[in-house]
Amino acid sequence: MPETVSLSAGNRGSRTGVVPIVVLGLACVLSFALLLVYRPGVPGDPATAAALDDLLFWNSLLPRAAIALISGAALGLAGALLQRVLRNPIADASTLGIASGAELALTLGLSFSPLLIGASRELLAFGGGLAALLVVLVLSWRRGLDPVTVALSGMIVSLIAGSLSVTTILARGEYAMSIHIWGAGSLSQQDWSGVLSLAPRLVLGFAAALFLSRPLTVLALDDASAKSLGVALQTVRFAILLLAVWLSASVTATVGIIGFLGLAAPTFARLCGARTTSQVMLAAPLAGGAILLLADCLTQLLGSGFSDFVPAGVATALLGGPLLLFLLPRVHGFSAVTVEAGAGIRRLGEPGRMLILLAFLLVVFLGIALVFGRNDTGWNIATGALLSDLLPFRLPRILVAMGAGAMLGAAGLIMQRVTGNPLASPEVLGISSGSGAGLTLALLFLGFPSSLLMIASMAFGALAAFGIMMVVAARSGLSAERLLLAGIAVGAFSMAIVSIVLAQGDMRSYTLLTWLSGSTSRAGTFEAWTALISLAVLVAPLFLMTRWLSILPLGSGLSRSVGLRIMPSRLVLAVLAALMTAIASFLVGPLSLTGLIAPHLARLIGFHRPAHQLPATLLIGAGVLVLADWLSRVVIYPYQVPVGLFAALIGGPYLLWLLTRREQP
Amino acid sequence: MSKPFSLTRRAMLAGAAALLATAGRSRAGQSGPRVATLDWALIETLLAIGANVVAGTELRQFRQVAVAPEVPGTVADLGLRGTPNFEVLRFARPDLIFNSNFYAWADPLMSRIAPVESHSVYVPGQSPYQLAEKATLAIGERLQLASARSLVDELSERLDRYRRELADGNDRPILPINLGDARHYRVFGSDSMFGEVLARLGLSNAWTGTTSYSAMAPVGIETLATMPDAWIVLIPPHPEDAFRALTEGAFWKALPAVREGRVLTIGSVNPYGALPAAGRFADFLAEGLSSARNR
Repeated sequence: MPETVSLSAGNRGSRTGVVPIVVLGLACVLSFALLLVYRPGVPGDPATAAALDDLLFWNSLLPRAAIALISGAALGLAGALLQRVLRNPIADASTLGIASGAELALTLGLSFSPLLIGASRELLAFGGGLAALLVVLVLSWRRGLDPVTVALSGMIVSLIAGSLSVTTILARGEYAMSIHIWGAGSLSQQDWSGVLSLAPRLVLGFAAALFLSRPLTVLALDDASAKSLGVALQTVRFAILLLAVWLSASVTATVGIIGFLGLAAPTFARLCGARTTSQVMLAAPLAGGAILLLADCLTQLLGSGFSDFVPAGVATALLGGPLLLFLLPRVHGFSAVTVEAGAGIRRLGEPGRMLILLAFLLVVFLGIALVFGRNDTGWNIATGALLSDLLPFRLPRILVAMGAGAMLGAAGLIMQRVTGNPLASPEVLGISSGSGAGLTLALLFLGFPSSLLMIASMAFGALAAFGIMMVVAARSGLSAERLLLAGIAVGAFSMAIVSIVLAQGDMRSYTLLTWLSGSTSRAGTFEAWTALISLAVLVAPLFLMTRWLSILPLGSGLSRSVGLRIMPSRLVLAVLAALMTAIASFLVGPLSLTGLIAPHLARLIGFHRPAHQLPATLLIGAGVLVLADWLSRVVIYPYQVPVGLFAALIGGPYLLWLLTRREQP
Repeated sequence: MSKPFSLTRRAMLAGAAALLATAGRSRAGQSGPRVATLDWALIETLLAIGANVVAGTELRQFRQVAVAPEVPGTVADLGLRGTPNFEVLRFARPDLIFNSNFYAWADPLMSRIAPVESHSVYVPGQSPYQLAEKATLAIGERLQLASARSLVDELSERLDRYRRELADGNDRPILPINLGDARHYRVFGSDSMFGEVLARLGLSNAWTGTTSYSAMAPVGIETLATMPDAWIVLIPPHPEDAFRALTEGAFWKALPAVREGRVLTIGSVNPYGALPAAGRFADFLAEGLSSARNR
């Protein structure tokens, strides 16, 4: 088996590595010097001002720089450890779900017991981060911790943990916002306590990493050689994983989430020519510290007065997407992430009859959602006058759920067919997050845009995301894993843009939080008509294109030979899928995962020809979201669980189950 | 507000009539049109002038943050402000719904339940105090409650009284803040309700920087050093651990305001409230400042 962590970056010799080191070092020194010169002064009488200026310098500016260096170094080290031990060049606290898990644990801790958290903040973060990592590892265990599977599981776990945090925040009102908005990776310090608590951890971690560096080197080989060299393989692996989680959770508990630094630091170290395990272990923390210091100085310089431009953690998150794309060529999955697309469990003899049954089921769901409800005294069945009274509230959201579910299903089907990748879906490919980035830009530049403008900006974002992803993936020949990774990269970049506005903590962030959680309770006439009309307009043409859908997955050669012009047909389908994703995401939020489940269920039932799979997918997608919407309305009455989250809680585990299934021989 | 022994025939009939509806919600003894609102500033106004409130949003949180006026147990909870449950609103059978600009998106939906009237307190570029006065009077007129006028007049007199009481003191600026965590706070500018109350008390706001929707967040704690003359007024709710971590820190103890005892921790006040919140803030501030001066 080939060595999966490619160390070829610096193969032009270490001379080339000197340039990036010098540039980064100079940039750090320069920006820190600028900060010293341009830092805002204290007003008032000279004596007091001088004393306070001293106080600020010694107790805020210096510890802040120190904590940037230390946190960056800790995250860089953690990233390097994770990448080495998992033999995965894109492993890091962000991509593995460690940071989101820690954040979720902190949010929950704060909600349930505001006082408890003071004593055991770090323990909570550690527990959450470890739990998230374990889930990811268990899920990808059967595939031998294949990098692409790990990254996908990490993304799903992050998505679900993140949306649970958002829901907790919304459910608690402003109070718990502190975790998400206040603590979004801001490094500001008022004393040396943060430094004093993190520094020994970094030293300990570093010592442990050095101690483990020989086994680590061996671990970079494959399991068989490592075992033959006498390394207690799993014990060492687990020890290193614990160390990495502990380091990143400590940073998360002290300064919040610093996105993707664990990815950036080792990459930079390799660019500078670090090749052996010990070289990387040494260079990655240095690079991490320098990058974070630079980012933090820049956010302070760009901000006005004492307020930062954005929290440093959000600034580094912007690095994540481009870095993942940059690292793409180096990721080699060792077991193909494909759920066999063609071979099904069974084939239906009479698909028409099954379609009628599905349609009937959808009608039953619609009926239940329309009639059954709760009030203070318990369950009730609304009929007659009461039903006509409740209809204006129930009908729009049911129609919205139905339309969004059907469109997501269709979008997922198109993406899976066009890319020939059974794991493709609006959420996995980052198209939903792309529409969020579009919405964010509209909020940034237009203040409070109208609904139509919101839809337009989201469609723009979705199209842009799809475009970028197709270009990137096309360069690597649309290989299944490249495509998924490109999707994760686009999604990460889009979510970083969303986080920038989220971190402002004003009314616009509230709009974004509401969108993120994905709720249908606001649905009114406009939303209902939007859902119905776009469903009709965007889905109808698909029925004329089912031939494309069956030919495209067969590959470009065959498609051309049967006279299909590939680029235009792909383009038309991609635009349709992006538009459907954008509108559905406007209606029910970004993460329902319906686009993934619906086409799969259709196939599991036995629909194979696109002419049958398309209507089946539409019906199933609609049914799933209608059911989820009804459940979200009744489980914690009168409060409401966001429907997107509810559906994701069903869809996430399903996707993960798909990933972990053994391939049939 | 509600009289005892008031399970009248009318209330019983109302309960019986609404078999499926939330019968118990009809507030026994309350007269006047049944009103509901999504907005926290409006619900405290309605409760303060003694309107017959039947539904409001996020009442669990409201009781913790706004504290006063007290919300009777019979008021239906509509759920989160961002995602209110309109079915509960329908079951509460309001005769009239008050809404604000912030929830304008809900107007078409709610107008199917009852007529909707909008009164906004927080509009960019306008004084929230004046808008709150205007809204209180308009609501009072609509519901024919004279108590609205007396709420406005009484508060304005109270603020004048405080202004005279505080006039002889030194004129240090006030910094009204709300802790987010141990290292960051949210500050309320001159365009906020707190800022407006400060102005009416003849006090100046120490925060002269920019704000976004009347507040600025998150601001690093270190900026407290740049306002050495100010009184620091901490407005809960804040995370208890953050408060402890902050106040035990060396930086905090070195601040001139802390060394000279110019820190005031008041009771929880809704930062986006109306006149009742303004009055509550003024009471806390006047009491705290005068007791500090008499020390």
